[in-house]
Amino acid sequence: MVTAEQITLYIQTIPAVPSILKEALAHIRNGELTKAAKCAEEDPALKLYLKTLVNRPAFGFRNEVSDVSQIFSILGTAGAYQILHNYLLSLLVPKKWSLFDLSATAFYDLQASLSQKWEHILAHLRLQNQDTQSAISLLPAGIIVCDALFGEHKADVEQLRSVKALDYNTILYRVSQRTLFDICDDIARIWEMPPLAARIVHGASGLDPHLEGNEKLLAQWMHLLLFYELSQGPYVSAGLNEFLDFQIDFVHDIYESFIQVVGYDESNR
Amino acid sequence: MRATVKGRIAVFHPQGFLDGNNAPSFLTIDDIKATEALNVDMLLVSLKKVIFFNKNGLDVFIRLLLEIRNQKHITVGLCDYDHTKFKTINAFYGGNLNFSLFRTEKIAELFAPTNKSDSKTVLVYNDDPSQRSAMAIELFDYGHNPIIAQTQKEFDEKKHTPDLYYAIIEDTYLGLFGQKIATRVTGNAIIYTIANFLDAEIGNTFNIAYHNNSLNVGFRLFIFDAYKVVSMNVHALNFFTKLASSAAEYNATICFAGMTFEKTPESFKNDLEDAGILFFDQMDDILKNKELLQELGGSSSASKQTRSVTKALISELPNFIDATVSTISMMTNAKATKNSVNMQTLDIGSARNQYASSIGFYGDVDGMIILIFPKKIAKKTCELLIGEDTDDEEAMLDALAEFVNIIGGRAKALLGEKKQHVDITLPRTYGNVHSLMEMAQNKKGVQVNLDFEGSQFVFFLTR
Repeated sequence: MVTAEQITLYIQTIPAVPSILKEALAHIRNGELTKAAKCAEEDPALKLYLKTLVNRPAFGFRNEVSDVSQIFSILGTAGAYQILHNYLLSLLVPKKWSLFDLSATAFYDLQASLSQKWEHILAHLRLQNQDTQSAISLLPAGIIVCDALFGEHKADVEQLRSVKALDYNTILYRVSQRTLFDICDDIARIWEMPPLAARIVHGASGLDPHLEGNEKLLAQWMHLLLFYELSQGPYVSAGLNEFLDFQIDFVHDIYESFIQVVGYDESNR
Repeated sequence: MRATVKGRIAVFHPQGFLDGNNAPSFLTIDDIKATEALNVDMLLVSLKKVIFFNKNGLDVFIRLLLEIRNQKHITVGLCDYDHTKFKTINAFYGGNLNFSLFRTEKIAELFAPTNKSDSKTVLVYNDDPSQRSAMAIELFDYGHNPIIAQTQKEFDEKKHTPDLYYAIIEDTYLGLFGQKIATRVTGNAIIYTIANFLDAEIGNTFNIAYHNNSLNVGFRLFIFDAYKVVSMNVHALNFFTKLASSAAEYNATICFAGMTFEKTPESFKNDLEDAGILFFDQMDDILKNKELLQELGGSSSASKQTRSVTKALISELPNFIDATVSTISMMTNAKATKNSVNMQTLDIGSARNQYASSIGFYGDVDGMIILIFPKKIAKKTCELLIGEDTDDEEAMLDALAEFVNIIGGRAKALLGEKKQHVDITLPRTYGNVHSLMEMAQNKKGVQVNLDFEGSQFVFFLTR
């Protein structure tokens, strides 16, 4: 099974933020979108990623958007900041998923859908800013880490799960005293992400007893959003519904507002 | 999604939202095949982690459940819901509710056969008198002690003292129940409750897999509680005669208690006695007579004669050891090493502070794996399953049962790679190793002493 040593080795493989990206993020933090776009144009991989992601159906643009400065001006500062972090996360995406039955497109769709819905949620809560918006980019990191750590133990986990309904996060904690969300914290530190973003994502495990106020509120919404997405057919088929233990009591009081914000029509299903 | 199997119950655990759009994704063709192949008495869908469900979503699971029930005559239904969800399910299905509803998995377990002999006192209430009676009968037949509240008021009063009851059963419904013969364990005897007219249908309602399991894990006395039998026909007679022949191979005894022959030909009794079945007027004539129990095999010192270990079984020893060692390695990230291998009767030194568990297998090869651990080693190996530091013996033994179940599953897979097909039995655990020793003391087998983090534990392969 996964060992603490394997986790350490994995964290060592996480790449630092590429210099171009660092520069672009700094420009956005200073509110200079044009400079940020110019900077991003220099990295063909980044440019291709931005173009691919914003043209996924979740973003809902009628015409293809291909110019980076156009993308940034549509998304605004917080949106651009978030999408650059999404790109950073894409650097961790495996070429071939070994635990979850995911394709690159399916993962991009998940990223795009999470980003879009998170933006609606933040608007509803009136808590939009760069830090809160970038938090959603870090959330899928847990899925990537999970695949990397458990991929070679797939048969073991299947046998374990044949006798007990344990989620991956719980299994990891029991064998290493670390959760997937602890590892997301490490990733956030390496990538110099805002500490608030890391705390919200950590709280989105639904298991953080120290959260209070808006951080707790955002963690509740993010936890429910994650399970809303992981209940979608393609992600259920990919095995992601078993990724984490859903803390239903943690989100009970926001459920009614949530279904309105994400536009879930209970009667038409 | 695959169901998790605990004892004789398999449960699906979907999470999040369950509607007509996503529900089909939970069950691939492989999942359905794997579910159909399960050897269980109950198949449930847990709604504990489902925040929203609608009828279209539930129907996807219900269709599978009903199909499997029609094939296998097992109990199917939903579990783990609160009062609001219970009302919603009833509103969806109304009078067509033809599956069962158990408020918790713990309640569902009371309605399924186990290897445990502890009788539980439970408080039951349902506003439908026929449901109340059905639950009382089923619970009693499974060896429990149901306290039935006749009115809501009485129930509310009794609920104020929850410590008196193992479980409080409300918001529960038995749909098309009683398709299987109820089974309970008393000491080392298995009791089956049969009733009414016994005919060819008994081949479907009698749980032969559970019976074979019980033989394979060392039970030697099987009693049919036949007080409620009105009569039997020649098909049922043939069934019991065959059952007696197969029991004889294991030196097991089959008894009938309370059977009258007013409406059944007396010659049937002679035929059954010729097949080796014993008849008693009262259940207590067997259960309260210690000498007779010992003679029949219902006390622990059961086996009068032992089955010898075969060459075929010994040739598979490396697979069984590999399954055990690799499971320990998976669960603890530590290695167990082999110290010695001997053909002998089971020798464990002191039985104090030890737990034991066993799992049988049958098919192309048959036999039983017995593991005996010092308690602290058992705790360490099961940490991953338990998740918290506990001294609760019941939780520990449950985890140990899950642990040997994984070993059984691995051994089955390893043998499968060599085209050897086996089925595994329910695991059995022993908080007191003396009772295992009484069952296994005369058995010859291969004893492997293993070392794990400086402590010894015993692996024993026998028949």
